Amino acid sequence: MNALSDTRRAALNAIGDVLIPAALGMPRFTDAGDVDAMVDHVLALRPELTGSLNQALDRVGAGEAAAAAAERLNREDPDGLATIGLVASSAYYMMPEVRQIMGYRGQEQRPATVDEEHDYMRDNLLQPVIDRGPIYRDPDSG
Amino acid sequence: MGEIAEVLIIGAGASGAVAAKHLAEAGVGVVCLEQGREVSSDEFYGDKPEWELMSQRLWHPNPNVRGLATDYPIDTSESDVNPLMFAGVGGSTLIYAAHWQRFMPSDFRVRSLDGVADDWPFTYQDLEPFYDHMDVEMGVSGLAGDPAYPPMTPPPLPPLPIGRIGRLAAKGMNELGWHWWPAPQAIPSRAYRGRSQCARRGTCMQGCPEQAKASTDLTHWPDAIAHGAQLITGARVREITVNAQGLASGAIWIDRDGVEHHQRAEKVIVCANGVGTPRLLLLSGGDRFAGGLANSSGLVGRNLMMHPYAATVGYFDEPLDSWLGPAGQAIHSMQFYETDKSRGFVRGAKWNAMPTGGPLGMRSAYGGAPLEEAWGENLHRATQKRFGHSFEWGIIAEDLPDPENRVVLDDSLTDTDGIPSPKIIYRNSDNTEKLIAFHLDRQREAMEAAGAKSISTTTLMRDCGWHLMGTCRMGNDPETSVLDQWGTSHDVPNLHVLDGSTFVTSSGFNPTATICAIALRSVMHMIETRADQRVAS
Repeated sequence: MNALSDTRRAALNAIGDVLIPAALGMPRFTDAGDVDAMVDHVLALRPELTGSLNQALDRVGAGEAAAAAAERLNREDPDGLATIGLVASSAYYMMPEVRQIMGYRGQEQRPATVDEEHDYMRDNLLQPVIDRGPIYRDPDSG
Repeated sequence: MGEIAEVLIIGAGASGAVAAKHLAEAGVGVVCLEQGREVSSDEFYGDKPEWELMSQRLWHPNPNVRGLATDYPIDTSESDVNPLMFAGVGGSTLIYAAHWQRFMPSDFRVRSLDGVADDWPFTYQDLEPFYDHMDVEMGVSGLAGDPAYPPMTPPPLPPLPIGRIGRLAAKGMNELGWHWWPAPQAIPSRAYRGRSQCARRGTCMQGCPEQAKASTDLTHWPDAIAHGAQLITGARVREITVNAQGLASGAIWIDRDGVEHHQRAEKVIVCANGVGTPRLLLLSGGDRFAGGLANSSGLVGRNLMMHPYAATVGYFDEPLDSWLGPAGQAIHSMQFYETDKSRGFVRGAKWNAMPTGGPLGMRSAYGGAPLEEAWGENLHRATQKRFGHSFEWGIIAEDLPDPENRVVLDDSLTDTDGIPSPKIIYRNSDNTEKLIAFHLDRQREAMEAAGAKSISTTTLMRDCGWHLMGTCRMGNDPETSVLDQWGTSHDVPNLHVLDGSTFVTSSGFNPTATICAIALRSVMHMIETRADQRVAS
């Protein structure tokens, strides 16, 4: 599925690279893998974003520099810029390449072990609370 | 639907499920009408990469954001807080965090102790056996001996681990000599009654894909149906009907093909939450009950309490795995729960230490801020600072009843069946604002003591109205309350309300444990006294 026209996709990718540049060990948006396919996936799951995304991308002038377009959109159409940012960052943070760099395997299964259950008892972390005793207010004594 | 149900329940969420199970098990013929549908655990995104993306729309707790046909839209233009809920089998327990908190003994005596609001028509001790019973039915995990509570029966399951965030939060509290305790949760630390052990995915609030969290579609409805309860989904009730004797005689409901039905019943129990229940009562009654059914007091819809929520996030250098579940709370604190009038306000709040979720966060909320603040290199900087390296202390601020905070029928907004929507009129009180300011200051100290490198605060989260309470309050005096202590209408003796609408005060706790305990207490009373009750024929 191709959710965006070539012109709009080019605008999204260019602004995506402004919003999500290569820095601090992270790749820029368009270097994060097959982001085109992931953007299509995002829009398939959130079709209500497509209209406002297209509207915002259509405001980018032909030949307008991406950084200038992003600044202008943020001033003139902040909701539109927010939609571009949401689509780009949603796709970016779902990319396996990005998650690998971040050490994030998604909301993984990690059932607790018995050892983890009462660690605060074994190292006495909870003991001061126990030692201080009850703190509740008895309504009968005020 | 020509048959007359012994009991008609409206709403299949927490209280409706508890009522249906126990009535059906006692041999009572039950029909339940639920406007939503059954939701399968494989519809949840918690085990999929798209979890955060879908949590901002399809599984958002605000029905106005979801915009589903099964939801009714709500006019919140005059409210400081958005009410949150889910319509379906299991109701909002499908997407709650499963904090399983009892109220304090003092919560039932607010007027006597602090001179504000009202006392409840029963005590903590009256409710305690039903709390115990619900702990077992839900499969509560927790650690006995919390000194913030009177001694109580231990929960059936050992506590979930408090994890790195809980330990860090606890160290801060110990530095200050403040109370904390591993939090009680309706999430099984072991496989329990057909449910899985919690996998700690941390997606409880968008539905549990593991079938672990105690939502009443899993904990109660299978038993209710096995004992003969009839559950009709896609059934939107537009009016409770009344017979010539002034008794509730059933309800008119609309199916998903737009066909109207009349379900007749000897007795009606409304379990449609603190917004849906007053909406339905205000829609009902006709000429005989002008101003709404069960509303001779004028209090149906009034005294809405929603627990304004504020929070403090601390950012730490060390890795905390702070996307790991459970999503709701690792530890809680009642250090500042009780009234200390020297603070300039009454009542208090529970704190809960929570994880901070995945990397996406709320990127859509940054529109209009300077570009370089939210995006560019700062996007990576902010994500690296928060993701996996932060936790949140949340504040469940006790919300005092105020008759001006209310649910009314909207003049123009309707649901997809043309039924008038509710409108919320709700403002935070001066007491609430002082309470939140005090607690945020203390939380900042707790975060500093825990070693936070930086701290941010949210003074009021608008999408926080999870706890919908007070709009059909209980009491002994029909002039100042809608229901008696058993949830029975003072005006209509075979009409009952069992959801959070019944609450006299809100406490500073998540209310589902108390909603369920009150529902169970009321239903057991109904079963014990069934031979003496007036019913519609």
